[in-house]
Amino acid sequence: MKKPSLFRVERRPVVPGHVVVLVSILAIFAALVAAGIFFEAYGISAIRAYQLIAKGALGSKLGLAETVRRAIPLLLCGVGLTIAFRALFWNIGAEGQLLLGAVAAAGVALFSGLPDVLLLPAMFIAGFLAGALWGLIPAVLKARLGINDVITTLMMNYIAIYLVEWLIHGPWRGPSMRGFAYTDKFPSAAILPTISWTRIHWPTLLLGLVVAVLAYVLIARTRAGFEIRVVGENPEAARFAGISAFKTTLLVMIISGGLAGLAGVGEVAGIHRMLLGPTRISMGYGYTAIIVAWLARRNPLAVIVTSLLFGIIMSGGDVIRVSLGLPFQVINLFNGLILFFLIGSELLMHYRISFSFRRQ
Amino acid sequence: MKTRFVLIAIVLLALVFGLSTLTVAKEYIPGSSLKVGFIYVGPIGDLGWTYAHDEARRICEDVFPWLETVYVESVPEGEEGLFIDKLILEEDCDVVFTTSFGFMDGTLDAAQRHPDKIFAHCSGFKRNANMMTYMADFYQIYYLNGLMAGALTKSHKVAYVGAFPIPEVKRHMDAFAIGVQEVDPEAELHVRWIYEWFSPTAAKEATEALIADGCDVFAFTEDSPTVVQVAAESGLPSFGHYSPMYNFGPEHVVSGQIAHWEAIYLDFLAKVYAGVYTARNLAEVNYWWLLKEGAVEIGAKPGMLINPVHEDELRAVTVNDPILGTINVWDLVMKRLEQMSDASMVVDPFQGPVYDRKLNLRVPQGLRMSEFELTTMEWAVEGIVGPWPGEP
Repeated sequence: MKKPSLFRVERRPVVPGHVVVLVSILAIFAALVAAGIFFEAYGISAIRAYQLIAKGALGSKLGLAETVRRAIPLLLCGVGLTIAFRALFWNIGAEGQLLLGAVAAAGVALFSGLPDVLLLPAMFIAGFLAGALWGLIPAVLKARLGINDVITTLMMNYIAIYLVEWLIHGPWRGPSMRGFAYTDKFPSAAILPTISWTRIHWPTLLLGLVVAVLAYVLIARTRAGFEIRVVGENPEAARFAGISAFKTTLLVMIISGGLAGLAGVGEVAGIHRMLLGPTRISMGYGYTAIIVAWLARRNPLAVIVTSLLFGIIMSGGDVIRVSLGLPFQVINLFNGLILFFLIGSELLMHYRISFSFRRQ
Repeated sequence: MKTRFVLIAIVLLALVFGLSTLTVAKEYIPGSSLKVGFIYVGPIGDLGWTYAHDEARRICEDVFPWLETVYVESVPEGEEGLFIDKLILEEDCDVVFTTSFGFMDGTLDAAQRHPDKIFAHCSGFKRNANMMTYMADFYQIYYLNGLMAGALTKSHKVAYVGAFPIPEVKRHMDAFAIGVQEVDPEAELHVRWIYEWFSPTAAKEATEALIADGCDVFAFTEDSPTVVQVAAESGLPSFGHYSPMYNFGPEHVVSGQIAHWEAIYLDFLAKVYAGVYTARNLAEVNYWWLLKEGAVEIGAKPGMLINPVHEDELRAVTVNDPILGTINVWDLVMKRLEQMSDASMVVDPFQGPVYDRKLNLRVPQGLRMSEFELTTMEWAVEGIVGPWPGEP
């Protein structure tokens, strides 16, 4: 006879929405507790640190504005990544795709000679195409030759980084910069408008929100979206159903790379107003967006919320660097811990504990 | 009813008044305690640029009892405006130093936003009524190191690992090459660019490649002691960069460049404290400080001008100088150092005639280079071997 037990662990056939939200919140909370241990080890009260982060990122107009402007590139990259991840294409290359978008935008802004009204639209189109092209290379490599997408997308990031370095040190170096490695400033027609004194370049923000909704509709309501999900969830079934994995892979990477490219356009046209060192352009948005997309559980609409959350972490991180004199690596610590707990919680989400109080 | 109205009016007035006193920026009153913020581009532990600035900050805090400092490290270019605002609005700083060329426009914008505060931007060229510029430059030290390198090379191939092909690094390479060739006219300076300010891996690769090419003396611009360490493993001499690197190769570090940013910081802050410099008279203030002002030092470590291990070798090599006659390299370095440390600066590395490696006359006979020419120079002197991006 089986020994009666008080509780048992069983797999959930379907994971309900509220469990996903609950487990995600729990994971973030666990990450905050873990990061808090580091704060305490540093001799700083964790509660005070979190108070400062919340106050700095949300409690002041300046902080709030910075939170939103950091969320913009995370939103665009994150939405794209949800689509790639749906098809189980592991795009680690949003960083490079973002940089290529920035390069294309800078090229159009500085050298195209287009009339002023066409300049910004052309920059966005060029940025999308450049990011998509950068994303297509690993897509083709995987779909045709079966080359691991994690490795190729990651490596493409480094190529993009050196491409930007080469451009700003070589052919595109601005004559007005006295030999330093920057392009010249963009003409004023190539600069995105911002909301009053903030650095929120609202056209890119609007674009991000629209894209999030469109991506949701694409995944949930269209045939292409259905095919993306089938390819991701059951490649065997996809093959039997006559869905082309090749076409689907190319499609998700055109979207994913293109959206990252748009984020790059926003950063150079809205914030920097020139092309400059790759780590200045991006600050790791492409990598952080992986966590953003994962936390959103690959739902494009949820990315709106998760990108804002990481906006808070990034701009809150600035606050504690100034107020508490913490080293700059704190932000990476946060991001790493959150991703760690999120992936760890994946298992938790798919199982439930049922208690049985029946006596035998 | 009426009294209540008056009461509300008084409260409102008090509120407005109170708020306005809170938001109106306070201008620094000379002689009162001074709070200074530093914006660094790198981590303070880099053993290079940012480390040197932070050392200077701590010295200032020790020297001036009325001084309080705060700093933010690893601020990405483009984000400086945000951090400057935080330092001023939240930390109440009276003076803000920004220490990277890329902070130039952001610092100028902030200076215009906070006209009552004092700003100082390192290595740039834009100034304002409340924003000065400053730079401590090494080109003279590189020239002196070059003299020694010229004496120490046996293969007539001296190596230089460069960070980025920008005027600052090119200027230092040129000065170094001029020194090398003054002692060994046959010698070549072999160059490798690594396109990083801090990259031990790239610096190691470049150094190994240069060793394979037959180079036997090393100088560099990169913010880690890697080149020194790799050269020392092969028993080859090198020159430290930016901070004292003697400890990374006690037998092999001949000399090097050491920055003393505190010379500039102490001078400037003392003048702010005394009311000489205010938020209204900085438009023409530019510190371009060299050996004679004590902003830079030559040495393997502070106080050790030349590593005694190499003294015999340097004394054994002599050159014929038109003015000094036959002189050994040890004495030549001491003499040149003395000449350049003197206020009259009777010698300069870039003393005409100087030709570039395409044989164009760059500095005519009897002339020297202006600060503007030095900070924008792109050409390579004769004897430099290797790629030179942006060569005119």
